[in-house]
Amino acid sequence: MNKTKYWIGRGIKNIILIICSLFCVFPLVWVLIASTNASVDIVRGVLVPGKHLLENLKSIVEHYDLLGASWNTIKYSAVTTIASIIVCSVAGYGFEVYHDKWKDRLFGALMITMMIPFVSTMLPIYQTYAKLGLLNTTLGFILPSVSTVFTIMLFRQNSRSFPKDIIEAARIDGETELGIFFKMYVPTMKATYAAAATITFMNAWNNYMWARLIMSDNRAQTLPMLISNMTTGHYIDYGMLMLAVLISTLPTLIVFFALQRSFVEGMTGAVKG
Amino acid sequence: MRKRLMALCLAVVMVMGILAGCGSDKDNGKTNDGKDKNAETVNKLTVWCWDPAFNINAMNVAADIYKKDHPDFEMEVVEISSADIIQKLSTSTSAGNTADVLPDIILFDDGLIAQEVLSYPDVFMDLTDSGIDFSEFSEGKVAASVVDGKNYGVPFDSGAAIAAYRVDILKEAGYTIEDLTDITWSEFIKIGKDVKQKTGKALLNGQSGYNQITVMLTSCGGSYFDEDGKLNMSDNKKVKRVSELYLEMLEAGVFQEETGWDTYIGNLNNGNVAGAMNGCWIMSSIQAAADQSGLWAITNVPKVDGVDGATNYSSQGGSTWTITTECDNPELAIDFFKSTFAGSKEFYDKILETSAISTWIPAGESETYQQESEFFGGQKVYATIVDFTAKIPSCVMGAYMGTARTAHMTAVTNVAYSGADLDEELAAAEETVAFEMGQ
Repeated sequence: MNKTKYWIGRGIKNIILIICSLFCVFPLVWVLIASTNASVDIVRGVLVPGKHLLENLKSIVEHYDLLGASWNTIKYSAVTTIASIIVCSVAGYGFEVYHDKWKDRLFGALMITMMIPFVSTMLPIYQTYAKLGLLNTTLGFILPSVSTVFTIMLFRQNSRSFPKDIIEAARIDGETELGIFFKMYVPTMKATYAAAATITFMNAWNNYMWARLIMSDNRAQTLPMLISNMTTGHYIDYGMLMLAVLISTLPTLIVFFALQRSFVEGMTGAVKG
Repeated sequence: MRKRLMALCLAVVMVMGILAGCGSDKDNGKTNDGKDKNAETVNKLTVWCWDPAFNINAMNVAADIYKKDHPDFEMEVVEISSADIIQKLSTSTSAGNTADVLPDIILFDDGLIAQEVLSYPDVFMDLTDSGIDFSEFSEGKVAASVVDGKNYGVPFDSGAAIAAYRVDILKEAGYTIEDLTDITWSEFIKIGKDVKQKTGKALLNGQSGYNQITVMLTSCGGSYFDEDGKLNMSDNKKVKRVSELYLEMLEAGVFQEETGWDTYIGNLNNGNVAGAMNGCWIMSSIQAAADQSGLWAITNVPKVDGVDGATNYSSQGGSTWTITTECDNPELAIDFFKSTFAGSKEFYDKILETSAISTWIPAGESETYQQESEFFGGQKVYATIVDFTAKIPSCVMGAYMGTARTAHMTAVTNVAYSGADLDEELAAAEETVAFEMGQ
């Protein structure tokens, strides 16, 4: 009797989960199908794969610099990710390992800044960058996303479970502080690095508002900018648009799936001793 | 362990390298938008506009034509959406670095240009005495970029309103395209009810009534502002009459409101509605359904009966070029426009294939504009639209036109769906706009 109850309960749970996941997966599947259809079929509501994929690709290549935009996006995202995990891990490590009362207060102040939305600080940042001559430069593009409070916090929280005794032991053995960081901390925190890299990469990849504001050059166009430009015409080619959306989604999917296991570990704060 | 350290160092060096490499973008004598400010005479114009198939194509065609007589001429078109242009304009003016950011030429939607000129008066060049002959453009179109009696823009594509109908559906209900030509809105609604009853299809649809109401109000020369720029919505006969007609259409099911742009176009392409009424640029979306070739025909829009100055002609959309005060060589920019957008039939012939229809009246005389369109049952659509364009009445445009349109739409929606009183809603709309205007 109990067993039947168990299986019925499990069945219901699974059905609910399947329905929920269908809701989540549907938009992605729809984009996939839409990218193979002609624009007119998409607005007509066709839901089966069509034969228009190559034509859609041709229209993108004809009207837009897809390769250039992809390269720019990859370049900006990679540089931001590498720079960000270096800066934020050092900061997170510092806040935890060398902490005192004042550093804790400073960290508290940093946490408060998380509540200020970027749109409200965007203009002052823009004005500062304009004065520094950083408009239309890669440095100006990536600088606001190199050090984020969230990533610092992620490293700091995860550093808590990093055994402090080892640091003491290493100091006694004569290891330098830098040596401890690079030789012991970095290899141990791999999972956290993976999680931070995934989040930073995705944010950088999808960065739109700041990119649009600071870059005013066709050669600096990124994929989100390119997609946004596709929706501005008198006539919107939805087939081309969906294919562009698909192309721009793939890399973030790949990065996520490649780092998925470490991502979950990193977010939950596991340290492999 | 040493290997890892090496890898990390390498990564750092790479990052530094890329940063340094890109940091030097600025150091080669160019400013941010690629303008070469060191050269003595600048032969290059930088343009901001959107839509590669339409505006950008037109600019490039114009550049090619201009280059024939001016081999040194260069043009850089930066693709940037209308919304982003507005944002960049506002950030750069507040940061005080318009000289570094703004290009020589910017494209604006006709509905936005007056507002931008009034908000940033120092950014746009007064073209009144530039030598560009504005009398050769359609009067209603030129009015969109006139602020305080001064011309701030070079008109580009026509937003002349067309009424396009599916002749097969009309036939099913016993009507022809002639029955819908030169009519009033009251007659239109009567026919619409009949078509709805016989075929089950609405005559028109739209993403909310925003474009529709604009078309109706413009057709009788109506505005939310009087000649002195004073707001008037509640005691405005034209606004009230247009609202009543729209509400009547909506209630009778003659006009079908859609939830989004894609459903609007989808229902047109699916044949779920019998017609479309919008700026003539809507033709490219109609023609996307190639299987409906020969089933469509265009005519003029109905006129608002019961008000003064009503006509069968209107406009919705279209855009205008402006020259910024940051332009390094204004003579070049003006000469460029005189030789192309305001003076070349060849240019307008070439861009017609993208359905960019001229507002420069002489262009309509060319042979190319006389071609017949197979999709529209052999009609000379381009010549017809040029004819419509010349007859569009001019309306007073204000800086807060967009705000007033949105407030008007909200009022109409409240009446339609919450049963509110039209007079009260229009008064409330006027208050909202007055508040935004700071009056």
